[in-house]
Amino acid sequence: MQQPDIIDKVAMAFSAALMLIGIVGLGIVELLAGQPYGAAPVTNEAGEIVATPAIDPTLRTGLVLLGLLVLFGWGVYRAATPDAGADRRPTEVTAD
Amino acid sequence: MAYSETNPLAENFGFDIGGPLAAYWIALLRVITGWWFFHAGVTKIIENGLNFTYGTAYLQGMTGTALGPIPVWMGNNLGWLIEPGVPLFETLIGLALIAGAFVRLAAFGGAIFMTLFWVGNAGFGHGLVNSDLMGLLLFGTMIALGAGRYYGLDAILEKTRLAEAYPKLRYLLG
Repeated sequence: MQQPDIIDKVAMAFSAALMLIGIVGLGIVELLAGQPYGAAPVTNEAGEIVATPAIDPTLRTGLVLLGLLVLFGWGVYRAATPDAGADRRPTEVTAD
Repeated sequence: MAYSETNPLAENFGFDIGGPLAAYWIALLRVITGWWFFHAGVTKIIENGLNFTYGTAYLQGMTGTALGPIPVWMGNNLGWLIEPGVPLFETLIGLALIAGAFVRLAAFGGAIFMTLFWVGNAGFGHGLVNSDLMGLLLFGTMIALGAGRYYGLDAILEKTRLAEAYPKLRYLLG
């Protein structure tokens, strides 16, 4: 990839933000909210649920999938638009 | 791995993206990922042929996920594709990655598989970041790095006349 343009920068920032919020950001919230520290409910020996995650894992996985979707859309955009930089071959120029 | 005063990452045995350590590691990662999928696919073919009925049942059970009704719809309506497709595509994705041919296309297919595994296996008993998510990220890495260019057939395929004439093919190769 040559110099990223504004669309490249937005796609990279937005997708990374979505994935990091889903995994790390809400993971920290889950951690601070007490048990269960992960995304699965805590059960007792009888199999009864005694504590459920503070953040629904569907929301967290959804944010990550949205981030991946942004990356996919970015890839399609890059493939569909003329790429001035990628196929550019260096040419010799005479110095002034 | 050349020394550079301005780039500390390029010191001896550093990760220089154009250097031999990068090529070695990316190729190794690609072949091992490929073997993982090839093994998963070919053992299904050996045991059940192209009739992997668990695939449709698995998708039909994916209710209440972030993918909404899509997997259940797939399980109910795309059995004709899923039952032969799961073992076949897993095998082909694995072979493509091992050979390093059409790696980006194959890795995209692998990412679709891993998305369904990650979301569908659910439970998340070992946290949201589990081996399924790591597998998904591995396929993303193959796409981002164009892993087929490192000791793979894509390095040759990208120099063919067809690829030279249609440079956009590199979005599927590489």
